[in-house]
Amino acid sequence: MAAPTEIEPAAGPAAGPGERGGPPGARRGLLRYALAKLGGALLSVGMVVVATFFLFRLIPGDPAVAYTRDVPLTPDQLDLLRRQMGLDRPLPEQFLDFVLRALRGDLGTSYEYRRPVAELIGERLGPTLLLVGTGLVVAVTLGLWQGTRAAWNHGGRLDRFSTGISLTLWSVPTFWLGLLLLMVFAAGVGPVPGIFPTRGMEDVDAPDGPLYLLHVAHHLVLPCVTLVAVVYAQYLVVMRSSLLDEIGQDYVTTARAKGLRDAEVRRRHAVPNALLPTVTLVFLHIGLVVQGAVTTETVYSWPGLGLLFYEAIKGPDFAVMQGTFMVLCVAVIVMNTLADVLYHVLDPRVGSA
Amino acid sequence: MTRLGARLAALGLALSLAALPATSAQAQVLREPAEGKRIVRLGAIQAIDSMNPFLAVRVVSTSVHRWMYAYLTTPDSKTLAPSPDLAESWETSADKLTWTFKIRDTKWSDGAPVTAHDAAWTLNKIMTDDGAKTANGPAVENFASVTASDDRTLVITTRKPQASMLELPIPIMPRHVWEKVGDIAGFEAEQYPAVGNGPYIAVEHKKNAYVKLKANPGYWRGAPKIDELHVIFYENPEAANVGLKKGDIDWIGRLAGPHFEALAGDPDIVQWNTQGRRASYLQLNPGAATADGEEIGDGHPALKDPKVRQAIHHAIDKQALVEQVQNGLAVPADGSIVPPMYKDFFWQAEGDVRVAFDPARANEILDDAGYRKGADGIRTMPDGNRKLEMRFSIHTEDPVEDKLAQFLTGWLKDIGIGLTTRKLDSNKFTEETGSTALYDIAISGWSVNPDPEEVFATHLCSRRPTAAGEGGGTESFYCDEEYERLYQAQLVELDRAKRAELIRRMQQKLYTDAPVIALYYPNNLEGYRSDRITSITPIPEDKGILYGGSGYWPVYSLQAVATPAGPAAGGSSAGAVIGIVAGAVVVLGAGGYLLARRRRAAADDRE
Repeated sequence: MAAPTEIEPAAGPAAGPGERGGPPGARRGLLRYALAKLGGALLSVGMVVVATFFLFRLIPGDPAVAYTRDVPLTPDQLDLLRRQMGLDRPLPEQFLDFVLRALRGDLGTSYEYRRPVAELIGERLGPTLLLVGTGLVVAVTLGLWQGTRAAWNHGGRLDRFSTGISLTLWSVPTFWLGLLLLMVFAAGVGPVPGIFPTRGMEDVDAPDGPLYLLHVAHHLVLPCVTLVAVVYAQYLVVMRSSLLDEIGQDYVTTARAKGLRDAEVRRRHAVPNALLPTVTLVFLHIGLVVQGAVTTETVYSWPGLGLLFYEAIKGPDFAVMQGTFMVLCVAVIVMNTLADVLYHVLDPRVGSA
Repeated sequence: MTRLGARLAALGLALSLAALPATSAQAQVLREPAEGKRIVRLGAIQAIDSMNPFLAVRVVSTSVHRWMYAYLTTPDSKTLAPSPDLAESWETSADKLTWTFKIRDTKWSDGAPVTAHDAAWTLNKIMTDDGAKTANGPAVENFASVTASDDRTLVITTRKPQASMLELPIPIMPRHVWEKVGDIAGFEAEQYPAVGNGPYIAVEHKKNAYVKLKANPGYWRGAPKIDELHVIFYENPEAANVGLKKGDIDWIGRLAGPHFEALAGDPDIVQWNTQGRRASYLQLNPGAATADGEEIGDGHPALKDPKVRQAIHHAIDKQALVEQVQNGLAVPADGSIVPPMYKDFFWQAEGDVRVAFDPARANEILDDAGYRKGADGIRTMPDGNRKLEMRFSIHTEDPVEDKLAQFLTGWLKDIGIGLTTRKLDSNKFTEETGSTALYDIAISGWSVNPDPEEVFATHLCSRRPTAAGEGGGTESFYCDEEYERLYQAQLVELDRAKRAELIRRMQQKLYTDAPVIALYYPNNLEGYRSDRITSITPIPEDKGILYGGSGYWPVYSLQAVATPAGPAAGGSSAGAVIGIVAGAVVVLGAGGYLLARRRRAAADDRE
């Protein structure tokens, strides 16, 4: 397997040379830094709002006609629909309306469900947070752990094996892997029993109380495994390269020279330092996890935001597309900002001269 | 064996050991729902859009509503002609403008009587409230007034005679429950058990997951023979197929060809392959214009000539398309846009009218009309200005249409017409073939209801785009005086036989003018588990549809195996427990393995 540099992020952990100098007033520096980042994030959110509006209007075709593709309507009824959708008004007016509403948290009304988009998103948020949250924890744990092992034995069989496996899974299409797991572990093939459900988060007549949690957890296994399998490589690779950097450092040699055991050098000296840039990257990579969630939810009929987005594209339900797209974008921006600030807080070499 | 190999083997062993105890137990428990009940679980590749029948448009929702609420009439189980349902009988006035329905004396599921006032309220609501028009606005467009003269008598007057009156797609709602709703467009109707009077009562709806219906013990035809009907949502057809094979669901309708074929070979699954509701056809740009008659688009001028369109029709081998493109799961179209399933309205081309596959005849027609072949084998317009090189618009990522394009390109080359395929995403496709007319030949299709009025409306002059370029829902940009006359005549013809005759003449018109060329009628493909469903009657009874047809006959006729009392209280919860236990064993096993490995690694470190 080739060196994994090609999937390392373009935006590395360096938070910009300006902040690196570290003025004496560290807390004031942090505040100013955080405010600057926050401003940047707000600007990004603003641009997302603008981009969302115009992006979804670039989609060719008349939404009213597209939505009613197989429903025969008279021209009068199409007109009524266009009025209900606000499509009869000039574009700048629609845009202003969109922005003002978005500021109030009103993301419009779904054409397909005839309900406020914000309400639909609220309904779907829980399942997605459950799936993405669990998946993220497992992927990060697995990735960091495997990455550490790989770096410590770099060049060895374990390194080649675990890095190779993770990168192979990384390059597998999520949809395909999901279907494969579904066919093997939900349906059962040969000696492998089909012990997992084929769809969704819960079945009819799901049990109450604590058993309900088990019921949902049972449904969560396959989607979660799919999501983790595809994304954990990014954490492994980041941890691996970050730890490799540390291994060459003088302090590691010093630690070894003190006579510490190998495992202790790794645990107490190298890994904590390698973790710093890695932790921030965990946040930076959340966008990719969200992207994986869209496909995973589609394969397993998981009733989350990703599925909502996918259905909206099929519709096409423009209001829902806009709304989900915006929420997902904002989530990524928030996470990235957190990562920026967190890095500043965590890295002892920043702001503590 | 290397050390790595040994570790892998150990891990594999641990995993399979962990899964083993679950195998036998789950086979018995997971597949069994609650004991003693007769439950049928229907998989649907579509979630409910709304449980409010005034808003719902998806097939799954309107189907569920058909099972929950009575309609004035229902298609007859044999002929599909309207037959009594909530309306026991009806009569029309001499001027054909007044309809009087006698409403059946039954009860809502909460015990309140069903009256004509319920029906009057429902229809008036749609007529007077824009928010209630979403699902069925067009159906009441022509109504002048709807009143209940007493508890049993409903009177509808129309502005013009309305032949489709007996096929109203509108469920009659309980007024005493629904009149309390303020904003109908914002009402989700998520109160359970829902008050209805159909064969089933919805008792639970988990959004994007399932709807649970119970048999209505007070149903006027008698309670259904099963206890519960679950409609379970799958986003992904492959997963639904897996669910059917495994026994998570008992029945799926509306399957695509490959999914249907994937069910072959399972002795417990019945592959249900019958004639379908749909026609697939080509659209040929006949010289598109707006509703005001102003020319639009860039259709090839040769296609304005009916002779060219007919020559193209002669060049298509529909039988080959059925065999090669549809894997035999369709019927070649020897007619127009109404599939043969609708016996009353279907028109079949016969004798001289029939356009057979005959490339020689096609070449002869084009030669005679002055389209001469050039050295490259491609014809030119009679004035010599433009070659007959055309575009074929299909959807991106549709393998069936891709294959069809290859065949069509070959056949048209044989008659001197060059064809290049143009793949468009579905929005762009809809725009170019429905509003801007930037196409020469395009693929299309339509699913037809028992009353075919709406599919014929898609070829009316008025359905062409407005002057501003907004689409009006045309499927062909066709505009023909004779066709318009026939359409208006059938709208007001209340005699079913006479109306059917008018409708057949419209099909003949479309067939010979060829703004659309029907290729084939895809079959209705479904699958169900015969070890669970012991009996189900399709609609129509002779080789009809199970799911997605009109009316409630198939689900009403369902008979199923009662679930024997099992050791576990709830099958799914038992399954969950087993799954979790298995998962825990896996985790523990893996943990133990890792611990052992870690010890070894530590030992290695010590050297």
